Amino acid sequence: MLLVAPSLAMVAVFVLFPLGFAVYISLTNWPLIGPYHFIGGQNYSALAGDPEFIHSVLFTLLYTAIVTGPIFAGGYGMAVLVRSNRFGSTFFRTAFFLPFIIGLATESFMALLELQPDSGAADYLLGKVGLAHATTAWTVNYGLALTAICVIVTWFAAGLTMMLLMAGMQGIPIELYEAADSDGATWWQKETRITLPLLRRNIALSLIISVIGSFLAFNQFYILTEGGPGTSTQPVVMWIYEEAFVQYHLGYATAGAIALVIVIAIITAAQLYLLRDDTSAARR
Amino acid sequence: MKLLSRPILTGAAALALLAAAGCSSGGSAPAAPAPTSSTFGVNATGTVQFWARTVSKTLAQKLVSEFNATHKNLQVKLTLTSINDDTTSLATSIRAGDPPDVVGLNDIDMPAFTSTGSFLNLTSQIDALPYKSDLSPGHVGLGTYQGKLYGVPYWADLSVLWYNKTLFKQAGLNPNDPPTTYAQILSDAQAINKLGHGIYGATFAGDCQGCLGFTVQPGIWAGGSHLTNGDIGSQTANITGNQSLVSALTLYRELWSQHLVPDNDRTDDGTTWGQDFAAGKIGIMPGGYGQLVDLAKPSQLGTEFMDTPLPGADGGYSTFDGGDDFAIPAAAKNPSGAWEFIQWVLQTQQQDQYPALGATPVRTDVLTPAFSAAHPEDAVALKALANGYAPVTMVYDQMFNQAGGPWFQMFTTAVYDGNMTLALQQGQSGLARLLQQATS
Repeated sequence: MLLVAPSLAMVAVFVLFPLGFAVYISLTNWPLIGPYHFIGGQNYSALAGDPEFIHSVLFTLLYTAIVTGPIFAGGYGMAVLVRSNRFGSTFFRTAFFLPFIIGLATESFMALLELQPDSGAADYLLGKVGLAHATTAWTVNYGLALTAICVIVTWFAAGLTMMLLMAGMQGIPIELYEAADSDGATWWQKETRITLPLLRRNIALSLIISVIGSFLAFNQFYILTEGGPGTSTQPVVMWIYEEAFVQYHLGYATAGAIALVIVIAIITAAQLYLLRDDTSAARR
Repeated sequence: MKLLSRPILTGAAALALLAAAGCSSGGSAPAAPAPTSSTFGVNATGTVQFWARTVSKTLAQKLVSEFNATHKNLQVKLTLTSINDDTTSLATSIRAGDPPDVVGLNDIDMPAFTSTGSFLNLTSQIDALPYKSDLSPGHVGLGTYQGKLYGVPYWADLSVLWYNKTLFKQAGLNPNDPPTTYAQILSDAQAINKLGHGIYGATFAGDCQGCLGFTVQPGIWAGGSHLTNGDIGSQTANITGNQSLVSALTLYRELWSQHLVPDNDRTDDGTTWGQDFAAGKIGIMPGGYGQLVDLAKPSQLGTEFMDTPLPGADGGYSTFDGGDDFAIPAAAKNPSGAWEFIQWVLQTQQQDQYPALGATPVRTDVLTPAFSAAHPEDAVALKALANGYAPVTMVYDQMFNQAGGPWFQMFTTAVYDGNMTLALQQGQSGLARLLQQATS
């Protein structure tokens, strides 16, 4: 007990206290400045009937549903390409992971320039193959903006998934593949019967990180669309930001943040349950 | 371990909640005090903590440097705050009981603080200023709450109409006869647009809500109407039947639909605003005075680029009286020193330096023939200041500065979609909803 006391103290000070304080703020009408009052669960009941909040939650779910698959598939594919120590693997690992290192905010600003009508590379290149014209305004059209952001985020996040899966793949004993080879297994059979089952924990981790990241999406939308047109591309974190630091309804915004924490906790728990490794428990 | 950890964690959470409740015991705002001492602001000593937004960095640094060089017993320490979180930083410091002694706050954010008793009541001090009637009216209006003055102008960021004299000449227009009505803006833009070769008649930041509020509204005010009526607490939306507004939206609709502005204006969120004008490719640009001072070479100002007041549909002019107000937080530790610094900044010697630092003075009485000769472009802005205005409302950001706000929704529907009837309905209902929320 004594040995874990410092860790517990850190958790209490930096996690439990702020969380408890945030819960308290969410039960008040906390403004930017001035008096505030305890209002019980009014903020939470208001959330349930707030069409803008509900829209932002639904949009976040849609966005998460769209990007999770491509991020995983892209990351898995890249991990397959670079998992062995062949010539050039290090170069490609670096190249694939680089977007994650550069950062989403920087890439969003780069994209903002390249998505400009008339002057951006996107219209120019897509125009060459007949998929766009020179004045396509990506960032002010709901469908186009969402498409562009999903592509950028997939490019950004797939590298992290690649690293997580590649580490798992490299940890699988080579003897298993040699045995499969001697039994005449195909590449596909080895991938689906050996690699995927033994990667369950890595897959769970990468999916959880990916989904949480999507739920907390902010930078790319703030920079590229500001939630527009209207509030059509406003994810829930941007709703919280706008409500807190533009509308100055800090109590109400904190209620939204607490609700988001609960939703993320539930989804993460569900993912952990669905991707649990029963075999490892049996081994113990 | 399992049996032990649960009560410990539960106890820690309970402690956190108790501590949180304890922290919140001071949840009522004090009444704003007013300094009464006759020595307030005279020969103060010590240090003055001055928070200014990064947007006024050059000006603030120069003023503080000169003040400190001439006041050995009173030193000002400058802290620059981000333009995105300056209000929350200030609010946090006030809540913590440790605010700066003086703050340069975006004037549209003043009502959020003046209405909560956060600033010193400076009414008697401002009333005693011999140049009070010459202070920027919009700044003073935003620093006023229930008849009392809590803020005094710091610097002005005014909107004007920039035009390219070279392109005017090339298009056969008189470069010394800038547009003074909407019809002239349109016809001049059409003439310049005909030059071709990537030259456009006009430009605006079409995806920048704040920029559009800054440049479109003055034309509406010049026409004699505002988008809201009444004082804080009883304000109503004034969109339906607002002919000045319809004229302004129609002008921008024509500029857009006739392709008199670049296509990428539609997605300009303000980050590249004015660069095409500074590159000499645009005939007319509603913008800020300081904006072009930053973008253009000094030699281009007055020769290639000149400004004129933002006109209304049929004449008259106005400007968005933007910029910052000085305010002294109620819990400031050295309010006397802060007021001494403010008075020094407002002296004409300091005000005369503003144009070279990309800002417009906040006293209209500094507009002398000598000032006009030395700073002709800023003189235009300062002349417009006399007709300047800034909406006094608790919900300016929500109404005008948000992508999902009613102002931009109305602008988008009217200008890009061409549906004026729906736009006005959206504007009326959106503004009314926010004003209702602000009073409830």
